[in-house]
Amino acid sequence: MDGDMLLDVFFFRGALLAYLLSTLTYVFSLLARRVSSARAATWILTGAFGLHTLFFIGEWVGKGYTPFLHLHDILSFFAWVMAGVYLAFQLWTKTMVLGAFVSPVVFVLMIVSSISIDGPMIVPAVLQGSLVTIHAMLSLIGEALFAVASVAGLLYLLQNGLIKRRKFNKFIKLFPSLQDLDRINNLCLLWGILLLTLGIMAGAIWARTVWGSLWQWDPQQIWTLTAWLIYAVLLHQRLVIGWNGHKMALLSVAAFVLLLAALLVEKSFFTTIHRFY
Amino acid sequence: MNLILIGMNHKTAPVEIRERLSIACMEGFNPLDEIKAIPGVGEALYLSTCNRVEILARTRKGHTDAEERLKALIFRHGNLGEEDMARCLYVYRDSTAIRHLFRVAASLDSLIMGEPQILGQVKEAYRLAVDHQAAGIILNKLLHRTFRVAKRVRTETGIASHAVSVGYAAVELAKKIFDTLKGKKVLIIGAGEMSELAARHLIKHGGDRIFVANRTHERAIQMAADFQGTPVDFDRLGDSLREVDIVISSTGAPGYILTYDMIAAVLKRRKNRLLFLIDIAVPRDIDPRAGDIENVYLYNMDNLQDIADDNMKIRKGEAEKGELIVAAEADRYIEWLNTLAVFPTIVSLKEKAVGIIRSELERSNGWLRNLSAEDREGVEILANTIVNKILHDPMTCLKEESQEGAALAYVAAIRRLFRLEEPGGEEYIKENYD
Repeated sequence: MDGDMLLDVFFFRGALLAYLLSTLTYVFSLLARRVSSARAATWILTGAFGLHTLFFIGEWVGKGYTPFLHLHDILSFFAWVMAGVYLAFQLWTKTMVLGAFVSPVVFVLMIVSSISIDGPMIVPAVLQGSLVTIHAMLSLIGEALFAVASVAGLLYLLQNGLIKRRKFNKFIKLFPSLQDLDRINNLCLLWGILLLTLGIMAGAIWARTVWGSLWQWDPQQIWTLTAWLIYAVLLHQRLVIGWNGHKMALLSVAAFVLLLAALLVEKSFFTTIHRFY
Repeated sequence: MNLILIGMNHKTAPVEIRERLSIACMEGFNPLDEIKAIPGVGEALYLSTCNRVEILARTRKGHTDAEERLKALIFRHGNLGEEDMARCLYVYRDSTAIRHLFRVAASLDSLIMGEPQILGQVKEAYRLAVDHQAAGIILNKLLHRTFRVAKRVRTETGIASHAVSVGYAAVELAKKIFDTLKGKKVLIIGAGEMSELAARHLIKHGGDRIFVANRTHERAIQMAADFQGTPVDFDRLGDSLREVDIVISSTGAPGYILTYDMIAAVLKRRKNRLLFLIDIAVPRDIDPRAGDIENVYLYNMDNLQDIADDNMKIRKGEAEKGELIVAAEADRYIEWLNTLAVFPTIVSLKEKAVGIIRSELERSNGWLRNLSAEDREGVEILANTIVNKILHDPMTCLKEESQEGAALAYVAAIRRLFRLEEPGGEEYIKENYD
């Protein structure tokens, strides 16, 4: 058991270090405006993701309790999904430089996550069960997809500005094409809303069986539903009205910033039944 | 080594003079045979493009008049006074000739720096030299090295990776908007030379569905046929604009063909899909305010020219890196050439040593037989090591002296000291090198 713990810590610290390295390499690729170093950074990020995956496997196998109750686990899982989603996109689009925007976010999440590591916790009996895990996992993946959509949106805004202002510098060449970024934004919104919907449903079913009601007017519930509504509206506008490209990028960045601010307010000023740490 | 390179390029000679030479050479004969016939010329390469004429020859020792004869040949074919020609010609020897050849092939000496054709032209010139049996050991090695250097400069610097023509700048932009031009629909408004050129660029990079609109519809039909495209009605441009991704406009119309309102309305109808407008008409065809519309990207001739100019500056910066590569490669090549002079001596020295070891081992076979296989091997290794250690310093010295240009005295001394037979190598050197 002791050995397992040490190995976990090793994987986590290794992943953290590799995320830092990839972030630095990405920043260098932006400064030097070289795609070759962005390529190297992507490999480092892949390595970090691998270590991080091993960390999760170790956690699950070794500790055997459902994760996602600690802030530490939540942030680390969120970071892991973001990195994974980016790497998956990287496989079929030439969006290497998107990593320069994803990687720092992942790294910061990991830092916060590592600060909030506590000792092993006792999971309340009420929170044990696969439905809770499914609920937490799907919701987090959905939200992480929204985060990637926003990062793609941010890069879209930058690239759009360069092309509009006819600043044909090395950055234009380094950044991915508008169409690729728009496609990533689209896919992330689509899958994000789908997974978040499933996550919310799983949570609702569970809440009903345990607490006897779907809705508790819990700040976290309100926040999640707001996020769901905002992204659902965005997706609707995109698919039906044809809001794409610049407007969509702008809105997904705005939605993300808004929701992040709301989340911080919620976490600092309200108590919630979603707080276990 | 006696390499000599005589030539003229776009910097040293006006086009009238360059064209006389290249026309003379195009008329059914290649001067290679004539160059080869000059006494003292061992190998030769003749390169002729629109921007340069170059003759590279390896001359044998003692034929100091070869240069004058080569020049005379150029004067004769240029059909010009010697004074005029002499002003335009440059002459490089040995290391400077090698460096010049590397620079030419790497497109560092081109009118449009980094243009890709020149390497192909050098390769063609080399093929001709091989066909005319004008390329020997030195030129073979030199040209292959040249191709490698050119490739290095191309891949290791950004000299060729920035669009410096208006058409290519448009293609690069389109790729930053749409990622790929494959499957993209292109509308050409105004059938003319300029729009045709731009369209060809886009098609070359994947744009595969072409629509043509022209005030006189017959011209549109004609041009559409050229591109296997579709002619569309000039009066119903709005409908076509709904479909396409890229528009190239170059009509002679005095006012705007595509107004702000027209494009704003079209964009709604196409669900805000991205639209790339290229206005290469003067006066302009597209209201410049259209560029402010969301998801519309408008570039005119000046914008594209600015990109091309900026990229030219980048290429010039990259060219400096290319110069460093060329300088380093030229030094390495010259070093190799110099060792070539002492190479036969080193080989015979080694052969002699190996022969001595072998015969001595055979002579001692009588008592060596009594040793175990392992020990016998040990003795052989010992013998080899001693001989190698003794020979190491003289051979290193020989290689070093070859770089100082004083090899021949040492070669002679070593041949005499070690009684190396068959001084064939030496004669080869005497004939071919200094």
